[in-house]
Amino acid sequence: MDKLVAQYSRPSHQNESYSEQEQQDLTESLPPLSLKFALPPVANPSAFLRAMTDDHSNPSCPIKLAHGTTTLAFRFQGGIIVCTDSRATAGNWIASQTVKKVIPVSRLSRGEDKPTNDPTPGLLGTMAGGAADCQYWLRYLSQQCTLHEIRHKRRITVAAASKILANLTYSYKGYGLSMGTMLAGVTPQEGPALYYIDSDGTRLPGNLFCVGSGQTFAYGVLDANYRYDLTEQEALALGRRAILAAMHRDAYSGGFINLYHVKEEGWVHHGFDDMNPIFWKTKLESGEFSNVTSEL
Amino acid sequence: MTSLMDHQARETVGYSFSESTAGVKQHGFYPYTDNGGSTLGITGSDFAILAGDTRSTSGYNINSRMVPKVFKIGGDDETGEGATIVLSVVGFAADGNALKERLDTVVKMYKYQHGKPMSVSACAQRLSTILYQKRFFPYYVHAILAGLDEEGKGALYSYDPVGSYEREQCRAAGAAASLIMPFLDNQVNFKNQYIPGSGEGHALAAKKPEPLPLETVKGLVRDAFTSAVERHIEVGDNLQMVIITKDGIEEVYHPLKKD
Amino acid sequence: MDHFPGTWGRPRNDVYGAYDPSYLQSTGPKTHTTSPAVTGTSVVGVKFNGGVVLATDNLASYGSLARFTDTKRLRVFGNQAVVGFGGDVSDMQYMDRLLESMDIRENYSSHGNMLNAKNLHTYLSKVFYKRRSEFNPLWNHVLVAGFDGEGKPFLSSADLLGTTFSAPHLATGFGAHLAVPILRRLFPEEKPIEEISREDAVDALKQCLKVLFYRDARSLDKYSIAVITKDGIDLKEDEQLEGQSWAFAERIKGYGAQAV
Repeated sequence: MDKLVAQYSRPSHQNESYSEQEQQDLTESLPPLSLKFALPPVANPSAFLRAMTDDHSNPSCPIKLAHGTTTLAFRFQGGIIVCTDSRATAGNWIASQTVKKVIPVSRLSRGEDKPTNDPTPGLLGTMAGGAADCQYWLRYLSQQCTLHEIRHKRRITVAAASKILANLTYSYKGYGLSMGTMLAGVTPQEGPALYYIDSDGTRLPGNLFCVGSGQTFAYGVLDANYRYDLTEQEALALGRRAILAAMHRDAYSGGFINLYHVKEEGWVHHGFDDMNPIFWKTKLESGEFSNVTSEL
Repeated sequence: MTSLMDHQARETVGYSFSESTAGVKQHGFYPYTDNGGSTLGITGSDFAILAGDTRSTSGYNINSRMVPKVFKIGGDDETGEGATIVLSVVGFAADGNALKERLDTVVKMYKYQHGKPMSVSACAQRLSTILYQKRFFPYYVHAILAGLDEEGKGALYSYDPVGSYEREQCRAAGAAASLIMPFLDNQVNFKNQYIPGSGEGHALAAKKPEPLPLETVKGLVRDAFTSAVERHIEVGDNLQMVIITKDGIEEVYHPLKKD
Repeated sequence: MDHFPGTWGRPRNDVYGAYDPSYLQSTGPKTHTTSPAVTGTSVVGVKFNGGVVLATDNLASYGSLARFTDTKRLRVFGNQAVVGFGGDVSDMQYMDRLLESMDIRENYSSHGNMLNAKNLHTYLSKVFYKRRSEFNPLWNHVLVAGFDGEGKPFLSSADLLGTTFSAPHLATGFGAHLAVPILRRLFPEEKPIEEISREDAVDALKQCLKVLFYRDARSLDKYSIAVITKDGIDLKEDEQLEGQSWAFAERIKGYGAQAV
């Protein structure tokens, strides 16, 4: 009743302005990575979102989000290999060929952003599905991991970090997030650990995962050649070869091969390389990809 | 702004009467439109250029021939004097305006609270979170942010509608992005260009991209737009070009075809 | 989330239900729950040397019925700004109340400087945008005419989605199709507005209203016209279109019961 009285006892222009809280939200210069999101005021917000953004059900949907990917990670005796492509597609349009789909998590232990050959401590996350979803939530996770480090004076375990992310995605289940991510890290408590987390709230520990529209092609190569006792060089080559196969056969994957190795001391970057020369080198030197002619 | 938290709270409180503005609305109202146009940004070793056409359309109608799409962010007043960061938005103009004003406020508040201007990288991250806060009711815009980084190099960040972002050398967005972007790939990043005589067949070496001088880039921007105007109905009228260097921001307009 | 390669990452039907295209206006069945009932048609406006003219007809239609023939769709705000409304009449009246309460507050305020047309346009576009974001739009397309902060003639448009744009001459609704081409021919955009006289501008708008009356079935030959200059606002609300010639109608063939 008070609300009703208030509505008619103040000048009508005040009904059209924003509340103080809303004004503050709009002007805050340093908002945390908040969990507060604007929702469309309709009966079924996720159906609205889907109508606007699902480019598969409706290729002419108005808002096309960056999608499509191949990412893989596997454990072996020398640590964990993480490898991705770099293509982002919005419908049939290639939005970018230079996406960094491996995202370092936990900034505190990562130190400064300088190129170095020394291993950098911390976890790695991969990005598949909605590019914005992965970037935002891995950043949020990074923040949580750093806070954990400050509070407990030791690095977070991969199990704990993956659980933060999985609980988060589970709480947003049904709202329309799209992400399939892997967390990789080596900690004193767990040794090399690898988890798969997706936007349904699934969280799985495992030895070997491929995620994204090109996952089947990568699984094919990986399953055929994977052994736990691969040498470091063999493991790096296998990761690269599996992504190459997916880039070749999946239209939504391509661009550059982004390769990482996670060791006990931290992760090492093994290049962001154009797939085209690697493809021709693989074909011409080892006779693979005989479906393609090398005639010019 | 309805937020997720409000939404949940409302369900638990339970008013005795229904509020006129809160609660569920019948749909059938489509909250977006596309105002056409195109934007483009290229960076060099000590500058960044953001450009856009000035046509505003709805359907086959031209609303106006002079609606700029590139805005100075965090400047002193309406003129944008003293700004160091520039934002371009293309898509739904009302969302674009709302986004621009939000980022502008945030950058100004930062300056007042910290006593120094916001860096481009910080602003880029902030813009990403602003976009993501509307993840479930997106801003229908493709944004590009430009400025100079801490080392004085040109910095360009491009965004999707819900805030995924990436630093790039060049980016085209909007209606004619599919016409302009391949041209930029070839002319700025030298994609599919090879060094003549460097080898035979598959051994031919690719031309390495390097930062281009300002005059070359200005030429590329004008060529990109004059070409896009020839082949896209939603692009035309005037070219607004904003050039960011260490000496400040220069804004120039060139006429484009008006058909 | 779908894990099948071809549709990877997309929403799955068994979780989200079938894709519902009714949220998109272009596909799906159109519903009329949020559509307007009593409506006004075009608003036309043009800048001239030292001011702006704005005109609308006086009709409020109820669907195809010409329901109210003396509706005043030009609203004066303060002494230097006029708003012309197209679209839903009830929303127009709501916005009129809104503007009136703003005006009262402004008049009581100590700083004394009145909101000019540019401020008013900014305010209205924000109200529109806020309401569209609530999915509760004010179903109008308005033109705001007057002067900006530097005292230059100002003419700008705002619609139910919060879209705004400005040009030397503007028209909403049917006028965007019929009146704008006439205005663009009479006053090419490279011609500075200093070369357009008040008389030319007023005559041009009358011509536009006449053409609209000929072809827009939701229009009327009674109109309102407001001339905003530094000296004040000259508002006439009960004008009659003169010099109509329906001779062209004889030559129209192929519609209605008329035999070819």
